[in-house]
Amino acid sequence: MGASSRRAIPAIVVALAFALGLVACGDDTVGGGGNSSEATVAKGGPVKGELTISNWPGYIDPGAGGTVAEFEKASGVSVDYIEDVNDNNTFFGKMQPQLEQGESGGRSIFVVTDWMAKQMWDLGYLQEIDPGDLPTVFENLVPSLEDPSFDPGRKFSIPWQSGMTGIWVDTAKAPEIKSVNDLFDPKYKGKVTFLEEMRDSVPLVMKAEGVDPEEATDADWEKAIEKVKGAADSGQIRAFTGNNYNEELNAGNIVAAIGWSGDASIVNNPNAEWRMPTEGCVLWSDNMVIPVGAPNVGAAFGWMEFVYQPEVAADLTEYITYVSPVDGVKDLVKPALAKDPLVFPSPEFQKNCSTQDSPPDVEKVSQAWADTVAG
Amino acid sequence: MSLKQRSVPYWLLGPGLLWLLLFFVVPMYFMGELALRSGTLTTGFTFTGEWSNFPDSLSGHTEQIVRSFFYAGTATALALLIGYPLAYAIAFRASRFKVLLLFAVIAPFFTTYLIRTIAWKTILSDDSPVVGVLQTLALIPDDGRVLATPAAVIAGLTYNFLPFMILPLYANLERLDVGLIEAAKDLYASSRTAFLKVTLPLTMPGIVAGVLLTFIPAFGDYINAQLLGGTGQAMVGNVIQSLYLNQRDYPEAAALSFLMMALILVVVSVYIRFAGTGAFMGDDDPAEGRV
Amino acid sequence: MAALSRAWAWLRHNALPIYAGLAVAYMLIPIVVIAVFSFGDTPKGKLTFGLDEGFTLDYWRTIFDIPELNEALLTSLRLAALSTLISTAIGTAMAIALVRHRFFGRRVANLLIVIPMATPEVVIGASLLSMFIYYSFALGFETLLIAHVMFSISFVVVVVRSRLIGFDRNLEEAAADLGAGPFTTFRTVTLPLLAPGVIAAALLAFALSIDDFVISNFNSGTTVTFPLYVYGVSLRGIPVQVNALATLLFMVAVVAVAVVLFQQRRAERMAAVRPEPIPLPGTAAAQ
Repeated sequence: MGASSRRAIPAIVVALAFALGLVACGDDTVGGGGNSSEATVAKGGPVKGELTISNWPGYIDPGAGGTVAEFEKASGVSVDYIEDVNDNNTFFGKMQPQLEQGESGGRSIFVVTDWMAKQMWDLGYLQEIDPGDLPTVFENLVPSLEDPSFDPGRKFSIPWQSGMTGIWVDTAKAPEIKSVNDLFDPKYKGKVTFLEEMRDSVPLVMKAEGVDPEEATDADWEKAIEKVKGAADSGQIRAFTGNNYNEELNAGNIVAAIGWSGDASIVNNPNAEWRMPTEGCVLWSDNMVIPVGAPNVGAAFGWMEFVYQPEVAADLTEYITYVSPVDGVKDLVKPALAKDPLVFPSPEFQKNCSTQDSPPDVEKVSQAWADTVAG
Repeated sequence: MSLKQRSVPYWLLGPGLLWLLLFFVVPMYFMGELALRSGTLTTGFTFTGEWSNFPDSLSGHTEQIVRSFFYAGTATALALLIGYPLAYAIAFRASRFKVLLLFAVIAPFFTTYLIRTIAWKTILSDDSPVVGVLQTLALIPDDGRVLATPAAVIAGLTYNFLPFMILPLYANLERLDVGLIEAAKDLYASSRTAFLKVTLPLTMPGIVAGVLLTFIPAFGDYINAQLLGGTGQAMVGNVIQSLYLNQRDYPEAAALSFLMMALILVVVSVYIRFAGTGAFMGDDDPAEGRV
Repeated sequence: MAALSRAWAWLRHNALPIYAGLAVAYMLIPIVVIAVFSFGDTPKGKLTFGLDEGFTLDYWRTIFDIPELNEALLTSLRLAALSTLISTAIGTAMAIALVRHRFFGRRVANLLIVIPMATPEVVIGASLLSMFIYYSFALGFETLLIAHVMFSISFVVVVVRSRLIGFDRNLEEAAADLGAGPFTTFRTVTLPLLAPGVIAAALLAFALSIDDFVISNFNSGTTVTFPLYVYGVSLRGIPVQVNALATLLFMVAVVAVAVVLFQQRRAERMAAVRPEPIPLPGTAAAQ
């Protein structure tokens, strides 16, 4: 092999790199959606073909008698139901490059939490929904969810299930915990956990200080974050958890955790119960959204219409035990469930609750929170 | 050498290099370019040659970087202490059961990290008998715990990376000529001297390989800290994870990643030189049979 | 007195195997716990931390009842098998080239091997995804395979290389002297002697692939692997069948290895009957 061939290899590498550089540096600015004003309106169509849905795990009644099977029978649509939304941020992280290109990876519906839906909308990743295409949905949607602050008039999000963030308490070990402020009590040092999600934990802390999260300024957010940081540094807070706080509760490692109301099915500690904090809870919904590039909007609409029928919604609620956005479900479920305030909260029960919101300067506050969580 | 002979290394190297080039170098190039951008997801990331991203990400997270060094280093040392005798035993005392034992070493991986960790968390939960015993032995204070402490993270790292230490050690130990040790003993060396002067130097390449395969991934690990640690145990991996997914500050995430990789390379080069096996990085003359 | 010193001598002689036994037991502790809990009764069929409800065989009877779980497991096994095959072959070839031959760009190649190991998984996963999207690759099994092979190559190279260094070339030279061509030498001398290293590397590559979460999460499209499935269901409670399947998998593998060993012993015994011994790679050759 001549000297020229030997030199050829690194030269080829360099040339390749250069060529790629030209290609990659082509667009000076990457990202920056912000074209929500020019969002396309989702075009409906016949309810047939294949439908791919991305949802959170455990959010549907499974099996041959479950909602997916029933929908397939009723509509003839073949559904690929994937439970890959483990976390709003992680899901966003993996979908973002595709959505940026106008692709949805084959999915026609995502289910994401309020603030993530808004974020996707602001970046131009979602299609607009015409209420005329979804008569059943808009007829049966509970009034309290018809006009949320993040999506007035429901232009891009249709609620799937709602829930509340409050405090899970091990009543055998710490029966007197009733407010988020109690979590800062030194006698529980190292035995409480907070949620990693900023929009769950921080509003609760703010409410306990008497601040209304829906009107809070960046300074309010940062002050609350400071308080949490102090507790984290001192070891008062054992850990910031995702969904795995139930493991800590079950194992008896903690006496209280900030957590979600509908998790009764996975909390196995018989002494643990979800409590509405005295200052109120945080209300949130997980919403169905239609991404750009959705291959089968017609079937997606069909699905939405199907699950907003009270009988179908009742089946779902009986399995999932979160709050249904469909009116009239209460009369159709088992009486014991109908009386459960966590599944059918009365307005009285929720009177102090706030909807989940983002701080005004998301980047700055997120950074402060990330520094707190990362220790 | 004939053309055919001289082209042999390129043919051998070709597929691997091509694969790495296409599926690692190119994506890394994208990442590198991203590290020099500034902006946010909403306003878009503009290429501004923002070299300040690098020192900024470093200064903002020195605590986690130092902590990662400490955790990964301790875990590697522990893995070496636990793994070397085990690899030695498998190589020389296991005869028929070698493959079975090697298999036992990686068997835990079949169960996925989450299930394994849940098993450990069950064993080490605050109210468990194991923790009770530790408290009785006064190894931990009466109201102390094992989980959500640095010890738990290091233990997790050690356990999960043990196969990465044992397998290369075994691969290298296995070809050790026992006759050399016998020869040393014939020359009146004690077991200890024989080990220090014969076995250890000859198995250095295995040790170096094991240390690298353990330390490097452990340094960038995030999952052990996330599931076993509490507040105050976050490592660099967690920071990058958070920057990328939670704060969506892609440029800083990319910059910190590159810094991390550079740091590792420096540490690795120093270590290899120190361990004296230049052979490992190809500093020797391969034409010779022995190193 | 003599008994004590004999006992002490026995202990000293067997210290290493005893220690090895303890170490292996330590490695297997979680597996034992997992197996035990697969028999634990739970009210909702989901994994719990306690065994208060008693024991049952229910979850073993219904072990294949969750289609998504079965599919995810099969996908992971297929993926790991293919990834191991490809990465071990490529990695071994690279290791041989790097240790045996002198060529231009050797230093750079050495460096290139180490860097992927040092890169955090989020970065590898996300950057690969960006590249796939940029070039409009469809995400799925193929992209998963590409990613898994990519991150396994480095590990394979390092393991095989540690075995190659100091390899006695005289054996190969002897074979050449006896008229064997390079391929024959490779097949009958080098490869068998290299075998333990290659096997160790393959085991590592398999473990890496079957356990990967982050990189797979980014590049899987709508394909679900076993770790992805488990992380997903951990949100709402892990079905006990997961533990049962993991235990089953472990037992199947142990049985497979035991069968192979049994065959080997039979071959050994058969060989003992013949006049000339058949050298087995890795054992006789090393001595």
